This record gives sequence, C-alpha cells and structure tokens, in this order.
Amino acid sequence: MIKYHPEHEQLVKFVSGEADPAWSLVMSAHVDMCPFCQKEVEAISEELSHEHLSNDAHVTMDSSLNLMMNDIMDLSTASEEKEQSQTSYLELEGRRFELPRALRRFASKTDSWSRLVGKLWQAPVDLGEMGKGHFIFMEPGGSVPEHTHRGNELTLVINGEFQDGQRCYDTGDFILMDSSNTHTPVATHEDGCLVFSYVDEPLYFTSGLARLLNPFSHLFFK
Amino acid sequence: MLVGMTVTEEQSRVREPKECADEMSEYLRKIAEQRCRVSFSRLFSFFAPRVKSYALRQIGNDALAMELVQDTMANVWQKAHLFNYEKGSPSTWIFTIARNIRFDMLRKQQNRKEDICSEDLWPVLFEQTADPNEADLEEQTTLNQVGEFLDKLPVKQQVVIEAIYVKGKSQQEVADELDIPLGTVKSRTRLALQRLRELLKEND
Repeated sequence: MIKYHPEHEQLVKFVSGEADPAWSLVMSAHVDMCPFCQKEVEAISEELSHEHLSNDAHVTMDSSLNLMMNDIMDLSTASEEKEQSQTSYLELEGRRFELPRALRRFASKTDSWSRLVGKLWQAPVDLGEMGKGHFIFMEPGGSVPEHTHRGNELTLVINGEFQDGQRCYDTGDFILMDSSNTHTPVATHEDGCLVFSYVDEPLYFTSGLARLLNPFSHLFFK
Repeated sequence: MLVGMTVTEEQSRVREPKECADEMSEYLRKIAEQRCRVSFSRLFSFFAPRVKSYALRQIGNDALAMELVQDTMANVWQKAHLFNYEKGSPSTWIFTIARNIRFDMLRKQQNRKEDICSEDLWPVLFEQTADPNEADLEEQTTLNQVGEFLDKLPVKQQVVIEAIYVKGKSQQEVADELDIPLGTVKSRTRLALQRLRELLKEND
C-alpha cells in the first residue's frame, strides 16, 4: 500500500509544468502507480484550468485569431498515433520488473547492471541534460550503508519494499531525502527491492568502513 | 430590448461552469464525429483568447504566445476524439494540452527537448487503452453492481480482475502468482473490462 506521496505543492508545480524536469519524471512515475495522486493531479489540473482559462475579463477574438481559426480548420485529422512500442520491463538475473509508464522510455537507456558492495546492484540511466538516474536493486537482506545526502535524493519504489530503521517503504512510495536525513536502507522483503533513484549530489556515507567510500561516492548513485 | 443582437447576447450571458462544460463537450463531440466547423468556431471563440492570455502571462512574447495558441487549438481540432468525457471538463483538457506545449517550447528553447518531453510526463494526447490503474468503472456504478456483473464473467477473467481491482495487485504479480504470461493477464483484463463495460451499458 502506497503511503508516501509528493507534497501537494510539489504536485501543483508538476501539474503546472514548472517542476524541475528530473523531479517531474519521478513524480510522473509515482502518479502512474498511485491512484490517490492520480485523483490529486486531476483535481489540481481542474483548479489550474479554472485559474488560467476561465477568467472572463476582456478576452475577445481578434482578426489574427480569426485567421488562425480558419487555417486550423483546413488541417486534416491527424493520423492515429500509436504509442510506440517500448520495453515495459527491466530484467535482472532472470527476473522481470514491470516499469511505470513514465520510466519506460528510459528502459532502453539503461546501462547494464553491475554489482556494488554486498547484495546491491546498480544500473545507471542516462537522463540526458538532467544527468543520471539509477535503478538500484537490493537483494533480500541487502542494504545501502548508512548515509546522508548533500543534495536531494528522490526515490521511487518500483517493486518490493525496504526499511530504513524509521519507516517501511512499499511499492509505489515516493521518498524525498535531503541533508537532514541519515538512513540505512535495508531490503526486508523476500523478493528484494527495486527502486529508481535520482540524486543531485553524491551521497555521503556516515559510518564504519563505508566512510572509505566517500572519496569515490561519485561512482555510486551519481 | 433590441432584437438581432444574438452575438453580443451570447458573449455577455453569464454561464454556469457546468452548463458551459456541457456545451463545450457537445462541440468537441461534433468536431470529433462530423468535423463540425460551426462547433469548432464556437469552441475556438471561447477558448483561443483565454489560451492566448494564459500564453502571454507565461511567455510574455506575442509571437510565441500565438504559436502556443495555434498548436493547442490545432490539437483540439485534430484530436477531439481523444477527449474523455468522463475524466474531466473540456477546459481542463485544453489547459493540459496548452501546458504540455508550453513545457516543450521551453525545453526546446533550452535545447533540451530530447531529454524529456511533455508526453512522457502527461500523456494527454494518446489513445487510452485499458489500464488497470483506471478506476473509472467504480465511478459509474456501485461496487455491488460490478460484483453482480463480475459473476457473469468467465472464471479465469474473474480471478484476474479480483486480484487487480479488489486486492490491488499489479499485473505482473498476478502473472507470477497464477504462473501465466503477463500478456495473458493483460488480455484477460482487457476482455473482462470490455465485457463489464458492455454489461454496464446494457443495464444503464
């Protein structure tokens, strides 16, 4: 059951098209998975359409709009656009993971999986100018060493669940972490856990041997 | 009172939002089904100036604003058949189209169009195929009624529909549990939803 959602204000920015593109992507994928936020998005769209299109003050047709109208009616109906066939899943070790719609386009831009420390797998995703995102798979019992964040870390649980000592996150959950959060994610589900993650600055590992990773943390999750 | 002032009257008449939405929906239907030019000109006269003032506030450049109006209204003319009456008002639909076009225009200006485009984020202008996330059946009728109709489906379809809609499982999970291909789950879902829609229509 999805418990964690983007803040209302973040969704408003997303719906109005003003959110950061990478954030928009993660929010869009969450909305694909989340009936609650689908309703939110519908309600916000309606509100924004009222705000932007319903003002009755001094809107009138002028001659250039009239010309435009006639030109448009000369256009033929666009040929049916079929959604291009996209890989809708991600494969790892013989398992297939269904991806939310918004992330499907990036499935083909995902590099191969590589094993990180312990029971962790990582596959970078080229997001163009937005940088890189990562699919991260934690095998059952697998964990990311305790870390904090220099910037923002957006995580969407694609399949399975994980805990971080304070909370348990389920499939579809949207999680925002920043420098005020330190956590140690552990995959508790017997099937492990697949997440999509986007960080704008490298993670900062805070305990034990993992601190040795910090000089190389740009290699991890960034 | 003067007669023969229908145009002015039409424009100044204060309309309830619902009434206006119904009227605009009817225009969209006629555009989709008959390429009705009168309907389009009414719809255009109402929305184009509003989209233009939205565009001007957002972009602040007259030429680009007109481009946004042009693209938005051309999509309305060409893709009216994609408007879903059950999912929202014409004004919401047209706003989302304009929002998408504005988003792409800005990305293009930054030469970043390739990273991500509006259709990735908000698929407004695509045929919607049966999607297990869509819960619009629930809104059309009571759950009890659906339960009755559910009994009329082949058992194999019932199992899939229950797992997805009642237990909230993903199609992949259902495929894994029943040990059948994902494609089979999808086609069973689609067939079952089609059948349910027919049953709902018959009993409306």
